Amino acid sequence: MRVLPWLYLVIAFGFIYLPVGTLVLFSFQDGTLPVPPFNGPSMRWYAEVAADDDLVSALANSLLIATASSAVAVVLGFCAAYGLARHVLPGSVFLRGLLIAPLTVSYLIIGLGLLIVLTRAGLGLSLLTVAIGHVVINLPLAFAIIYASMGAQQQNAERAARDLGAGEAQVVWLVTVPMVLPAIAAAFFLSVTFSWDEFIIAFLLTRFDVTLPVEIWSLLRSGLSPRLNAVGSLVFLVSVTAVVLLELFVFRKRRV
Amino acid sequence: MTRLSALFLTTSALSVSASAVLAEGELNALVWCDHTDPALIEPFEAEHNVKVNLREYEGTGAALALLEQSRPGDWDVLVIDGIDVFRAVEANMLAPLDTSALPMDDFFPEVVMEENNTIDGVTYAVTEKFGYNTISYNSEKVDEADMQSLATVWSEKYSGRISIYDYYLPVMGLAAIAGNVATAEIGSGDLPAIGETLSTLRSRSASVAGVVAAQTALATGEVDIVVGGGEWLTAVLAEEQPELTWTIPEEGAVRWAQSIGVVEGSENPDLAMEFIKYIISAEGQARLATSSCFWGMPANAKAGDVLTDMQKDVLRWDSQPDYLALTQLYPAPDADLDIEMQDLWLETLQQ
Amino acid sequence: MTNEGQSLQGCGFVTPALLWTIAFFVVPFLVMGAMSLATLEGRTLIWGVSLSNYAEIAEKAYIWRAFLVSLEITLTVTVVSVLLAYPLAWIIAFRVPAEWQRLALLLAVLPFWTSYVVRSYAWLLVLAREGMINQAMLGIGLISEPITLANTRFATVTGFVHFFVMLLTLTIYANLIQLSPNYRRAAMDLGASAFQTFRYVILPLTLPGVVTGAFLTFVLCIGDYVTPQILGGNSELTVPQVIMVQLGRRADFPLASALAIALMAIVTLAYIFSARWLRLDRL
Repeated sequence: MRVLPWLYLVIAFGFIYLPVGTLVLFSFQDGTLPVPPFNGPSMRWYAEVAADDDLVSALANSLLIATASSAVAVVLGFCAAYGLARHVLPGSVFLRGLLIAPLTVSYLIIGLGLLIVLTRAGLGLSLLTVAIGHVVINLPLAFAIIYASMGAQQQNAERAARDLGAGEAQVVWLVTVPMVLPAIAAAFFLSVTFSWDEFIIAFLLTRFDVTLPVEIWSLLRSGLSPRLNAVGSLVFLVSVTAVVLLELFVFRKRRV
Repeated sequence: MTRLSALFLTTSALSVSASAVLAEGELNALVWCDHTDPALIEPFEAEHNVKVNLREYEGTGAALALLEQSRPGDWDVLVIDGIDVFRAVEANMLAPLDTSALPMDDFFPEVVMEENNTIDGVTYAVTEKFGYNTISYNSEKVDEADMQSLATVWSEKYSGRISIYDYYLPVMGLAAIAGNVATAEIGSGDLPAIGETLSTLRSRSASVAGVVAAQTALATGEVDIVVGGGEWLTAVLAEEQPELTWTIPEEGAVRWAQSIGVVEGSENPDLAMEFIKYIISAEGQARLATSSCFWGMPANAKAGDVLTDMQKDVLRWDSQPDYLALTQLYPAPDADLDIEMQDLWLETLQQ
Repeated sequence: MTNEGQSLQGCGFVTPALLWTIAFFVVPFLVMGAMSLATLEGRTLIWGVSLSNYAEIAEKAYIWRAFLVSLEITLTVTVVSVLLAYPLAWIIAFRVPAEWQRLALLLAVLPFWTSYVVRSYAWLLVLAREGMINQAMLGIGLISEPITLANTRFATVTGFVHFFVMLLTLTIYANLIQLSPNYRRAAMDLGASAFQTFRYVILPLTLPGVVTGAFLTFVLCIGDYVTPQILGGNSELTVPQVIMVQLGRRADFPLASALAIALMAIVTLAYIFSARWLRLDRL
């Protein structure tokens, strides 16, 4: 009986890693099709991916949009959380609901709505429109996470700072922000994750400069090859490295 | 305003204006996936010192919608299904094309297709590539004799071993041909019979698939037959899996053709014309014919001088006259019939 | 505590986020609503107030069937994912030694970071007739011939469950770890068995977290286009696929908008149903 949980753990992890394992394995396929049988390891697909300008620029675009839209979402979310947590505003329950509402709407619908409005407003589709869409989906998240961490502890410190004569801006920048930094960091990190991998909004709202998921999707549409495996494995590798680094240098530090 | 958001706004403003400045040496093309092969595009970019921006699309509806939502000058070149050129012209999306500079005499005569590309005496587009929607199959897994007649292709024997190419026009065309109705003559009254054929076909099929899914299915052995497939599906796989091949049944099959034209309102009409001239030239045609997404016959017969013998074999170069005679064009329904056909398609293919 | 001046200040802080939400979420939503009442004549859009799009949804079989399919798949995925994720979260929270917990959790959600599109495609390869699963089953003699797993509803559900098990493990774990161990100790002291402790103490306490996770799963699953498109084989269409068909084949924005609004209505119903336990602002 004691073995049962561990057995479950092993099976669960097996299930979770099955597609990733296959992906990575067949990215080394020596042949044009990423299906069994597996022919000896070959690096040619990784070489092809690195030489593919479209993929590399799509990767850069994804990073740009992810960081930019997350930064905007976190800033807006923080301000809103601060405003609502520290002040009694008319209709604050409604306001909170409104800010969280986009969480319940599927990305396809958000993208569709923006497509209709932005094109009619004469704004051409581009990376900017995608970034706008990504802020829409990340703002509620950032707001919720930061709002949840604004508690009495920070409030007391803020009052103390105000009593000591600090201006409002100083209170926010020098007291509040450092105290809720973990929540801000978590919100930023989560937003980057969601934006980085987001497909449907990016698909609907771009023209030529596309993000990585959209580029991968067109690769998928235009030819079966282990190149896709290589791309997926690379994305995985990059993300894993980022997460591991974060874990080692950001989260570990906190425990000390 | 925080420094971060200010920074963001500035960089985005800069990049937007930068891209506006770069537009001079750029060509924006709305294309099918076979135009995105670097082997096709890079020679043109190098020779004219420009950047070709490519956007792929899947259905003509999507392309027309995209064009409608764009500002004039956003796009320069359009690749479109030959059968849909008139739609683009009706929507004022294509500019008249001066074909005097193009080697039209070198074309296979059957694919000049004036009825597609010329409306009211004005030519708007030119055919660049053609092929067939017919039957692709794995010669090691099926009885080749069965593939020679539409009556036996989707017989019970192959139940569960078939995939249907996910495009309603050619597949419904095939269904019509199977029922002895010419594709040019399909009317509302023929739809019930076509629907029945489709239902039977669907009940014996494992999936309805797009290009890559169909290729995957055939290559991995998931299915052995693709209805609506053709050289465009299997040529890419032929090198490693020569058992994947195709044929045109005795009743006939459907011929697809894609046309290319200059978009109305383009800011680079001369460059767009140069691009089209390149695509229609023998070298351009040879590269387009063997492009990485899907292969197909070049409209310009002179491409035969540039293609290798092996490539011509895979394309069945020498059998083309027979094939051209045996195949019919896509159904060309009017707006109402088109909606009926699309609905019928969506109904029968979800079972 | 607060005075007029501070209230204005508060408004000032909230305004940017509010403006953004209104401009890029509320307004598009309203426009989409108006669009759903418009009609398409050939290629021209005619604004107006017409229920023809909604009528089309009710009449055309392939559309209302898509709603049924979406609901069936989403409910199946939600239930299965919760059932699979809860024990996993539990094991990581309570059986894995404390210093290894974060690593275990990290490992459990690491595949989150492969591209979503590529991961779905990877499942296609795994489930293929010549893929891993079939080979394994043939190898151990479970079956004598490969079975069709890809391009089916099973494949779609598997792809979804894979994603949501990771998501739910994360959220349920966060929930479990916040539980004070005193509850368990108190229950044990009062003589409850492990099962009773779980059933009457832990479960009710974690229910809000589970319901929140399940609701999120429901919303994300029912609105997803990628997984059914890649894994489903087009044997049946889900609502997002039908929406994309309208956009791609006919550029029928009115019908697409009506479908989107209908989908929202379903999600709203799900929200109302689970509102009792929902704690969205305490994610």
